[in-house]
Amino acid sequence: MAKTYDYLFKLLLIGDSGVGKTCVLFRFSEDAFNTTFISTIGIDFKIRTIDLDNKKVKLQIWDTAGQERFRTITTAYYRGAMGIMLVYDVNNERSFENIKNWIRNIEENASADVEKMLLGNKCDLADRRQVSKQRGEQLAVEYGIKFMETSAKASINVEEAFYTLARDIKAKTEKKLKEASNPTKSGGHALRAPEISRKPPVWLARCSIL
Amino acid sequence: MSSSVEIESLKDENGKNIYTVLCTFCSSKILNPGSSTYVNIEVAVKLHRMQRKDEEEVEEEEEISDYWMVDDMFTFENIGFSNTVENLKYLICADCEIGPVGWHNLTDQKSYIALSRVKHD
Repeated sequence: MAKTYDYLFKLLLIGDSGVGKTCVLFRFSEDAFNTTFISTIGIDFKIRTIDLDNKKVKLQIWDTAGQERFRTITTAYYRGAMGIMLVYDVNNERSFENIKNWIRNIEENASADVEKMLLGNKCDLADRRQVSKQRGEQLAVEYGIKFMETSAKASINVEEAFYTLARDIKAKTEKKLKEASNPTKSGGHALRAPEISRKPPVWLARCSIL
Repeated sequence: MSSSVEIESLKDENGKNIYTVLCTFCSSKILNPGSSTYVNIEVAVKLHRMQRKDEEEVEEEEEISDYWMVDDMFTFENIGFSNTVENLKYLICADCEIGPVGWHNLTDQKSYIALSRVKHD
Protein backbone atom coordinates (compact mmCIF):
# COMPACT_ATOMS: atom_id res chain seq x y z
CA MET A 1 0.00 0.00 0.00
CA ALA A 2 1.24 3.49 -0.78
CA LYS A 3 2.64 5.50 2.06
CA THR A 4 -0.02 7.77 3.43
CA TYR A 5 2.20 10.36 5.05
CA ASP A 6 5.04 12.71 4.18
CA TYR A 7 7.16 12.66 7.30
CA LEU A 8 7.71 10.48 10.33
CA PHE A 9 9.37 12.02 13.36
CA LYS A 10 10.39 10.22 16.51
CA LEU A 11 10.02 12.43 19.58
CA LEU A 12 10.98 11.86 23.19
CA LEU A 13 9.65 13.38 26.39
CA ILE A 14 12.35 13.83 29.01
CA GLY A 15 12.39 15.29 32.51
CA ASP A 16 12.12 14.36 36.18
CA SER A 17 9.39 12.07 37.48
CA GLY A 18 6.18 13.85 38.31
CA VAL A 19 6.55 16.81 35.99
CA GLY A 20 3.56 15.64 33.98
CA LYS A 21 5.30 14.20 30.94
CA THR A 22 2.65 11.57 30.59
CA CYS A 23 -0.09 14.20 30.70
CA VAL A 24 1.60 16.10 27.90
CA LEU A 25 0.96 13.02 25.79
CA PHE A 26 -2.79 13.14 25.86
CA ARG A 27 -5.69 15.48 25.75
CA PHE A 28 -8.06 14.72 28.59
CA SER A 29 -5.80 14.28 31.57
CA GLU A 30 -8.68 14.77 34.00
CA ASP A 31 -11.00 12.12 32.71
CA ALA A 32 -8.51 9.76 31.19
CA PHE A 33 -9.92 6.28 31.19
CA ASN A 34 -6.66 4.40 31.39
CA THR A 35 -8.08 1.05 32.39
CA THR A 36 -6.62 -0.97 35.21
CA PHE A 37 -5.42 -3.56 32.73
CA ILE A 38 -3.57 -0.97 30.63
CA SER A 39 -2.15 0.94 33.63
CA THR A 40 -0.62 -2.28 34.87
CA ILE A 41 1.14 -3.01 31.59
CA GLY A 42 2.12 0.60 30.94
CA ILE A 43 2.19 2.64 27.76
CA ASP A 44 5.17 2.43 25.43
CA PHE A 45 4.50 5.09 22.81
CA LYS A 46 1.83 6.91 20.86
CA ILE A 47 1.38 7.72 17.22
CA ARG A 48 -0.18 11.05 16.36
CA THR A 49 -0.91 12.57 12.99
CA ILE A 50 -0.69 16.29 12.43
CA ASP A 51 -0.96 18.52 9.41
CA LEU A 52 1.99 20.87 8.86
CA ASP A 53 1.79 23.23 5.89
CA ASN A 54 -0.30 20.66 3.98
CA LYS A 55 2.13 17.85 4.73
CA LYS A 56 0.94 14.86 6.71
CA VAL A 57 3.33 14.32 9.60
CA LYS A 58 3.33 11.25 11.82
CA LEU A 59 4.72 11.75 15.28
CA GLN A 60 5.84 8.76 17.27
CA ILE A 61 6.08 9.98 20.84
CA TRP A 62 7.87 8.08 23.57
CA ASP A 63 7.77 8.64 27.27
CA THR A 64 10.73 7.62 29.43
CA ALA A 65 8.30 5.46 31.41
CA GLY A 66 10.04 5.67 34.77
CA GLN A 67 13.59 5.23 33.46
CA GLU A 68 14.25 8.79 34.60
CA ARG A 69 14.09 7.64 38.21
CA PHE A 70 17.61 6.33 37.70
CA ARG A 71 18.68 9.86 36.74
CA THR A 72 20.02 8.65 33.46
CA ILE A 73 18.61 7.38 30.24
CA THR A 74 20.35 4.88 28.07
CA THR A 75 21.63 5.45 24.57
CA ALA A 76 19.15 2.91 23.22
CA TYR A 77 16.27 5.14 24.20
CA TYR A 78 17.73 8.07 22.28
CA ARG A 79 18.41 6.08 19.11
CA GLY A 80 16.74 7.61 16.11
CA ALA A 81 15.22 10.46 18.14
CA MET A 82 14.77 13.57 16.05
CA GLY A 83 13.17 15.78 18.66
CA ILE A 84 13.21 15.99 22.45
CA MET A 85 10.77 17.79 24.71
CA LEU A 86 12.52 18.71 27.94
CA VAL A 87 9.81 19.02 30.56
CA TYR A 88 9.95 20.54 34.04
CA ASP A 89 7.25 21.47 36.52
CA VAL A 90 7.03 25.25 37.17
CA ASN A 91 5.95 24.40 40.73
CA ASN A 92 9.06 22.32 41.38
CA GLU A 93 12.41 24.12 41.52
CA ARG A 94 14.36 20.87 41.56
CA SER A 95 12.86 19.66 38.28
CA PHE A 96 13.97 22.94 36.69
CA GLU A 97 17.52 22.69 38.03
CA ASN A 98 17.72 19.15 36.70
CA ILE A 99 17.08 20.30 33.14
CA LYS A 100 20.82 21.06 32.88
CA ASN A 101 21.59 17.46 33.84
CA TRP A 102 19.12 16.18 31.29
CA ILE A 103 20.71 18.31 28.59
CA ARG A 104 24.11 16.89 29.50
CA ASN A 105 22.63 13.39 29.30
CA ILE A 106 21.24 14.20 25.87
CA GLU A 107 24.54 15.61 24.66
CA GLU A 108 26.30 12.43 25.74
CA ASN A 109 23.78 10.00 24.28
CA ALA A 110 21.64 11.48 21.56
CA SER A 111 22.46 12.49 18.00
CA ALA A 112 24.16 15.89 17.98
CA ASP A 113 21.58 17.48 15.71
CA VAL A 114 18.48 16.42 17.68
CA GLU A 115 15.99 19.28 17.91
CA LYS A 116 15.23 20.28 21.52
CA MET A 117 12.51 22.31 23.17
CA LEU A 118 11.97 23.33 26.81
CA LEU A 119 8.52 23.07 28.42
CA GLY A 120 7.53 24.51 31.79
CA ASN A 121 4.49 22.40 32.59
CA LYS A 122 1.55 22.85 35.02
CA CYS A 123 1.48 26.62 34.55
CA ASP A 124 -2.24 26.61 35.48
CA LEU A 125 -1.38 26.30 39.19
CA ALA A 126 -0.28 29.94 39.62
CA ASP A 127 -0.26 30.04 43.43
CA ARG A 128 2.26 27.23 43.73
CA ARG A 129 4.78 28.51 41.19
CA GLN A 130 8.47 28.24 42.08
CA VAL A 131 10.04 28.93 38.71
CA SER A 132 9.22 32.18 36.93
CA LYS A 133 8.53 32.23 33.22
CA GLN A 134 11.52 34.53 32.81
CA ARG A 135 13.93 31.95 34.23
CA GLY A 136 12.60 29.36 31.82
CA GLU A 137 13.11 31.75 28.93
CA GLN A 138 16.64 32.55 30.08
CA LEU A 139 17.62 28.92 30.28
CA ALA A 140 16.24 28.29 26.81
CA VAL A 141 18.22 31.23 25.43
CA GLU A 142 21.34 29.87 27.12
CA TYR A 143 20.96 26.59 25.24
CA GLY A 144 19.65 28.16 22.06
CA ILE A 145 16.38 26.24 22.16
CA LYS A 146 12.70 27.21 22.09
CA PHE A 147 10.60 27.57 25.21
CA MET A 148 6.93 27.41 26.12
CA GLU A 149 4.88 27.16 29.27
CA THR A 150 2.21 24.49 29.07
CA SER A 151 -0.66 23.11 31.03
CA ALA A 152 -1.66 19.63 30.04
CA LYS A 153 -4.59 19.90 32.43
CA ALA A 154 -5.94 23.14 30.98
CA SER A 155 -4.76 22.19 27.47
CA ILE A 156 -2.64 25.35 27.24
CA ASN A 157 0.02 25.27 24.52
CA VAL A 158 0.47 21.49 24.56
CA GLU A 159 -0.49 21.02 20.93
CA GLU A 160 1.35 24.16 19.90
CA ALA A 161 4.49 22.85 21.52
CA PHE A 162 4.34 19.65 19.46
CA TYR A 163 3.60 21.61 16.30
CA THR A 164 6.53 23.94 16.96
CA LEU A 165 8.96 21.09 17.55
CA ALA A 166 7.69 19.16 14.52
CA ARG A 167 7.90 22.25 12.32
CA ASP A 168 11.54 22.82 13.32
CA ILE A 169 12.42 19.18 12.59
CA LYS A 170 10.64 19.38 9.26
CA ALA A 171 12.58 22.50 8.28
CA LYS A 172 15.84 20.83 9.27
CA THR A 173 14.98 17.63 7.38
CA GLU A 174 14.02 19.52 4.25
CA LYS A 175 17.23 21.49 4.39
CA LYS A 176 19.24 18.28 4.64
CA LEU A 177 17.36 16.65 1.77
CA LYS A 178 17.97 19.70 -0.36
CA GLU A 179 21.66 19.67 0.42
CA ALA A 180 21.85 15.96 -0.32
CA SER A 181 20.15 16.30 -3.70
CA ASN A 182 22.33 19.23 -4.76
CA PRO A 183 25.90 18.07 -4.28
CA THR A 184 28.68 20.34 -5.50
CA LYS A 185 28.84 19.99 -9.26
CA SER A 186 32.47 20.92 -9.79
CA GLY A 187 35.24 18.69 -8.54
CA GLY A 188 35.27 15.00 -7.83
CA HIS A 189 33.92 14.81 -4.31
CA ALA A 190 30.68 16.22 -3.09
CA LEU A 191 30.87 17.33 0.49
CA ARG A 192 27.97 16.17 2.54
CA ALA A 193 27.07 16.45 6.16
CA PRO A 194 28.23 13.26 7.89
CA GLU A 195 24.79 12.68 9.44
CA ILE A 196 23.21 12.18 6.06
CA SER A 197 25.37 9.27 5.07
CA ARG A 198 25.31 7.74 8.52
CA LYS A 199 21.64 7.91 9.30
CA PRO A 200 18.89 6.08 7.44
CA PRO A 201 16.38 8.23 5.59
CA VAL A 202 13.35 9.45 7.47
CA TRP A 203 11.10 6.68 6.28
CA LEU A 204 13.54 4.04 7.49
CA ALA A 205 13.93 5.47 10.96
CA ARG A 206 10.98 3.40 12.06
CA CYS A 207 13.06 0.24 11.82
CA SER A 208 14.84 1.12 15.02
CA ILE A 209 11.81 1.29 17.21
CA LEU A 210 10.92 -2.23 18.13
CA MET B 1 -21.43 -8.46 19.15
CA SER B 2 -21.20 -7.35 15.52
CA SER B 3 -23.72 -9.20 13.44
CA SER B 4 -22.75 -10.19 9.91
CA VAL B 5 -25.34 -7.76 8.52
CA GLU B 6 -23.77 -4.93 10.46
CA ILE B 7 -20.26 -5.82 9.32
CA GLU B 8 -21.37 -5.89 5.68
CA SER B 9 -22.47 -2.28 5.98
CA LEU B 10 -19.10 -1.21 7.37
CA LYS B 11 -16.84 -2.57 4.63
CA ASP B 12 -16.62 -2.01 0.89
CA GLU B 13 -16.30 -4.69 -1.82
CA ASN B 14 -12.56 -4.98 -1.09
CA GLY B 15 -13.12 -5.42 2.62
CA LYS B 16 -11.85 -1.93 3.44
CA ASN B 17 -13.47 0.21 6.13
CA ILE B 18 -15.97 2.60 4.58
CA TYR B 19 -16.17 4.93 7.57
CA THR B 20 -13.72 6.72 9.82
CA VAL B 21 -12.85 4.60 12.84
CA LEU B 22 -13.15 6.55 16.10
CA CYS B 23 -12.75 6.02 19.82
CA THR B 24 -16.12 5.05 21.31
CA PHE B 25 -15.60 7.30 24.32
CA CYS B 26 -13.79 10.46 23.19
CA SER B 27 -14.16 10.29 19.38
CA SER B 28 -10.41 10.54 18.80
CA LYS B 29 -9.74 9.59 15.18
CA ILE B 30 -8.05 6.18 14.92
CA LEU B 31 -8.25 5.28 11.21
CA ASN B 32 -9.20 7.06 8.02
CA PRO B 33 -11.70 5.42 5.65
CA GLY B 34 -10.18 2.76 3.41
CA SER B 35 -7.02 2.35 5.48
CA SER B 36 -7.69 -1.08 6.98
CA THR B 37 -9.01 -4.46 5.88
CA TYR B 38 -11.66 -6.55 7.58
CA VAL B 39 -10.52 -9.91 8.92
CA ASN B 40 -12.36 -12.63 10.77
CA ILE B 41 -9.93 -14.47 12.97
CA GLU B 42 -10.77 -18.12 13.46
CA VAL B 43 -8.93 -18.43 16.73
CA ALA B 44 -10.42 -15.47 18.50
CA VAL B 45 -8.01 -13.58 20.68
CA LYS B 46 -9.16 -12.81 24.16
CA LEU B 47 -9.17 -9.16 25.05
CA HIS B 48 -9.61 -7.76 28.53
CA ARG B 49 -12.87 -5.96 28.92
CA MET B 50 -12.50 -2.19 28.75
CA GLN B 51 -13.26 -0.50 32.03
CA ARG B 52 -12.41 2.78 33.65
CA LYS B 53 -9.92 3.04 36.47
CA ASP B 54 -12.59 4.10 38.94
CA GLU B 55 -14.79 1.14 38.15
CA GLU B 56 -14.58 -1.95 40.21
CA GLU B 57 -12.16 -4.32 38.60
CA VAL B 58 -13.62 -7.31 36.90
CA GLU B 59 -11.29 -10.01 35.71
CA GLU B 60 -12.96 -10.66 32.48
CA GLU B 61 -11.91 -11.38 28.96
CA GLU B 62 -14.00 -11.25 25.86
CA GLU B 63 -13.61 -13.32 22.74
CA ILE B 64 -13.62 -11.15 19.66
CA SER B 65 -13.07 -12.35 16.12
CA ASP B 66 -13.96 -9.34 13.91
CA TYR B 67 -11.11 -6.91 13.30
CA TRP B 68 -9.82 -4.16 11.09
CA MET B 69 -6.30 -5.21 10.10
CA VAL B 70 -3.64 -2.57 9.53
CA ASP B 71 -0.37 -3.52 7.77
CA ASP B 72 1.74 -0.57 8.82
CA MET B 73 1.42 0.98 12.28
CA PHE B 74 1.96 4.44 10.80
CA THR B 75 -1.34 4.08 8.97
CA PHE B 76 -3.03 4.97 12.25
CA GLU B 77 -4.11 8.56 12.69
CA ASN B 78 -3.89 8.40 16.48
CA ILE B 79 -3.20 5.35 18.61
CA GLY B 80 -1.31 4.29 21.72
CA PHE B 81 0.82 1.17 22.16
CA SER B 82 1.22 -0.59 25.49
CA ASN B 83 4.45 -2.17 26.62
CA THR B 84 5.09 -5.64 25.25
CA VAL B 85 3.26 -8.61 26.73
CA GLU B 86 4.66 -11.83 25.32
CA ASN B 87 4.49 -11.11 21.62
CA LEU B 88 1.85 -8.40 21.64
CA LYS B 89 1.41 -4.74 22.29
CA TYR B 90 -2.14 -3.75 23.22
CA LEU B 91 -3.64 -0.79 21.40
CA ILE B 92 -5.37 2.03 23.23
CA CYS B 93 -6.97 5.34 22.34
CA ALA B 94 -4.19 7.95 22.07
CA ASP B 95 -6.34 10.58 23.75
CA CYS B 96 -8.41 9.07 26.56
CA GLU B 97 -6.35 5.87 26.80
CA ILE B 98 -9.34 3.56 26.92
CA GLY B 99 -8.39 0.08 25.88
CA PRO B 100 -7.49 -2.41 24.76
CA VAL B 101 -9.18 -1.61 21.47
CA GLY B 102 -7.01 -4.19 19.75
CA TRP B 103 -3.45 -5.42 19.57
CA HIS B 104 -0.24 -5.25 17.56
CA ASN B 105 1.61 -8.42 16.67
CA LEU B 106 5.36 -7.96 16.96
CA THR B 107 6.14 -10.95 14.72
CA ASP B 108 4.37 -9.85 11.57
CA GLN B 109 4.02 -6.16 12.55
CA LYS B 110 0.30 -6.18 11.79
CA SER B 111 -2.20 -4.39 13.99
CA TYR B 112 -5.80 -5.41 14.70
CA ILE B 113 -8.61 -3.13 15.87
CA ALA B 114 -11.71 -4.85 17.24
CA LEU B 115 -14.82 -3.67 15.38
CA SER B 116 -16.87 -3.91 18.54
CA ARG B 117 -14.55 -1.63 20.50
CA VAL B 118 -14.62 1.38 18.22
CA LYS B 119 -17.31 3.42 16.51
CA HIS B 120 -17.74 4.03 12.81
CA ASP B 121 -18.75 7.42 11.49
